[in-house]
Amino acid sequence: MRIIATFSKLAPVRFVSHLDMQRLFQRAFRRAGLPLAYSQGFNPHPLLSFATALSVGYTSECEFFDVTLTEEVSPDEFTDRVNAVLPEGVRIIDAVDAGEFKASLTPLMLSAEYDVTLTFDPSVDKASIENAVSELLGGEIVVDKKTKGGIKPVDIRPMLIDFRLLSIEGSKARFALSGKLTAEGGLPPELLFKALYEKLGVSAVSSVHRKIIEMDWSMLK
Amino acid sequence: MTDNLNPSSESRIERLNALIAKTEKPTRYMGGELNMRVKDPIGLFRFALCFPDTYEIGMSHLGSRIIYNVLNKRGDTYCERSYAPWVDMEQLLRESGERLFSIETKTPLDRFDILGFSLLYEMCYTNILSMLSLSGIPLLSSERGEDAPLICAGGPCVCNPEPIADIIDLFFFGDGEELVNDFMDVYADLKKHGASKREILLAASQIEGIYVPAFYRAEYENGQFTRLIKTEPSAPDRIVRRIVRDLDKAEFTGDLIVPYMSIVHDRIALELFRGCTRGCRFCQAGFIYRPIRERKMDTLICYADEQLRRTGHDEVSLFSLSSGDYTEIHELVPAVLGRYTKDRVSVSFPSLRIDSFLKDDLEKMQGVRKTGLTFAPEAGTQRMRDVINKGVNEEDLLRSVRDAFEAGWQGVKLYFMIGLPTETDEDILGIAELARKVSREFYSMPKEKRGKGLRCTVSASTFVPKPFTPFQWEPQITVEEVLRRQALLRSALKGIRGVEFNCHFSETSRLEACYARGDRRLGAVMIGAFRRGARFDSWDEHFNKEAWDDSFAEQGLTIEQFANRRIGIDEPLAWQHMDALVTIDYLKKEHARSMEGAVTPDCREKCNGCFGEKCGSYCEMHAPGSKFNHRKEAGEE
Repeated sequence: MRIIATFSKLAPVRFVSHLDMQRLFQRAFRRAGLPLAYSQGFNPHPLLSFATALSVGYTSECEFFDVTLTEEVSPDEFTDRVNAVLPEGVRIIDAVDAGEFKASLTPLMLSAEYDVTLTFDPSVDKASIENAVSELLGGEIVVDKKTKGGIKPVDIRPMLIDFRLLSIEGSKARFALSGKLTAEGGLPPELLFKALYEKLGVSAVSSVHRKIIEMDWSMLK
Repeated sequence: MTDNLNPSSESRIERLNALIAKTEKPTRYMGGELNMRVKDPIGLFRFALCFPDTYEIGMSHLGSRIIYNVLNKRGDTYCERSYAPWVDMEQLLRESGERLFSIETKTPLDRFDILGFSLLYEMCYTNILSMLSLSGIPLLSSERGEDAPLICAGGPCVCNPEPIADIIDLFFFGDGEELVNDFMDVYADLKKHGASKREILLAASQIEGIYVPAFYRAEYENGQFTRLIKTEPSAPDRIVRRIVRDLDKAEFTGDLIVPYMSIVHDRIALELFRGCTRGCRFCQAGFIYRPIRERKMDTLICYADEQLRRTGHDEVSLFSLSSGDYTEIHELVPAVLGRYTKDRVSVSFPSLRIDSFLKDDLEKMQGVRKTGLTFAPEAGTQRMRDVINKGVNEEDLLRSVRDAFEAGWQGVKLYFMIGLPTETDEDILGIAELARKVSREFYSMPKEKRGKGLRCTVSASTFVPKPFTPFQWEPQITVEEVLRRQALLRSALKGIRGVEFNCHFSETSRLEACYARGDRRLGAVMIGAFRRGARFDSWDEHFNKEAWDDSFAEQGLTIEQFANRRIGIDEPLAWQHMDALVTIDYLKKEHARSMEGAVTPDCREKCNGCFGEKCGSYCEMHAPGSKFNHRKEAGEE
């Protein structure tokens, strides 16, 4: 059977890389004594895959993976058994039986919403931030993006859905951000922030929390 | 309290997290791993187990895993971990003015009661200095006051503690499981009564296995070490190595911490036994972990069950100095494989002797993941192998590789040493000859019976003479000579099908030889090199030759006088106050035998008397009713 699970990755594990998260779950499944299915071949690996990676340093309450088991385990039991053995900062929030759906989760992804806190150095007033944000929204946002062929200028504006200042307290400003996130790629939040810092002529430390990944679940049915 | 003074204040931790975020591998410093011990530190003695290398190396070290568990089992102590910060983190700490911190609670190291360093190899010494310096702790013990933590050290390098004697307050010599507890009992009792550091050191020096270097002063004549003089009448004349008599009942690792990042040995290590009976004359571990003490098979399986359940690891390593010598190896291997193969747990042997390996076991291991096999003939000719007492012959090796090839292996590593005492060019060429025979063994097999292509890696490290071996008096060959012999071997290996050559850089081996047999004067050299930028010396890309050369020159000493000099057989040795149980007379006898090419039998066969008069009381190998005798009797039937 195949289980699709939503999990959170919070502050205590925010520096754990994507590859290390895979091993973390594999070990957790082994501790939970779950009957994992393995791939065939010379170097068999558990049939576990993630919808998408989360950047190192980000937190999230909406990550997805799917895992194949050799025996039936109810999604509730799965959740309880895995949560009992996970380290602090990682939790399964929800699990469902994938049923007849056999494909990867990645093509179901549409977009993502983030909670963003930027701590500016030096601090910036509200009006300047709002001006800079609306300027960004109003035109192209050309950033240098690392690609396979080297660093290339790319307009990320088409990937950006919404970017709004929510509140400001001292040097800390909170934003709501949403951007495209699909199998083909997505909005790179760090590059957007960099464009904002350049407009404001300051530097900042960012803290990013992914709240929602919109998925086209209709494909699942 | 301002936040700078409060070691665990939230804003301080936030600042550290911001630094951690900027490093190349944040999980080195982050902590919070599964099975990390969490305690409320208030009212507890704070012990920081410090590993002077990176997290991924330190987390792999079995001894540290054991001591972490032993100390945390105590109700009065909280033991945390700290590792040498990589160069990026070091720079961040220096720029920000933050002090080096523990992994568990992010407490600055200078706030601990005790720091305990693991001394696994000489080339990590400058990292100790780096960790002290980043904690704002004075490097020299004589410059540290009552406020500074007590700086302790344990591990194999304590055999010759003199090069770092001026830095460390107290050394643990030998097995730590019971020794650290004995020390903590004394420490706790004295602390309750408000004892001073000196009072604590005086009391500790009475515990068997503890060495307090400040109670001794070294003397030199004509640039040579002559003797160590006691400056404290109550300190012992000789420091006797501590051993755990019943390893089976000794404390083990408890629940292993499960790292997030991948570490060097990312697996469960089951220590089958401690000590080795073979007596290879170059091998320090073979002498300083004697006598042999085994864990029972049931105990090992019980540990394996528990650890697998508590960690989710998928690999178990059957660990020891020579795992094939475990009395019940042929029962243990099938038992472990049978028990865990269905759960896709693989089993590995880090140290297998060519002659102890059986084809059956190889075939059983085949069911699981097929990692490379490593063999260590150490030398290329039988003459040379007899000199070093490596009791294997060419037939053993070729039979073992044939077995391995037939079982489907196609990757083998062959370990050799160059620069061994009495070595000639003929011995070097013998290495290439042996590799040629291994290659022929593979390609002479029918294609359908073997793998596609041979991957045979020949590794040649440089011999380093070490204290408490029969070769402790022998010089290391010069750098020029190392390079010449490496080149000779490289050209001799050219064109052999499927064989690759791999050899270690010799500059670090030379410094290792120097520090292994050095005296107290090397402390100042080390500090000078550290101040000039030396650290992570065992990492070739970081080795700073200039810093070391300049520092040696400044002290009026040379690397050569320690590394490349033959020590007279009756000369005073800088480590002669350390009693590792194996007697100097035995080592001298073994040295003489090696020069004659005489082989000394495995002590399972016959007691060679290495402990002198302590043989009867410290080693149970040939005592009536010993399990080792059982095997021998069974084998004779």
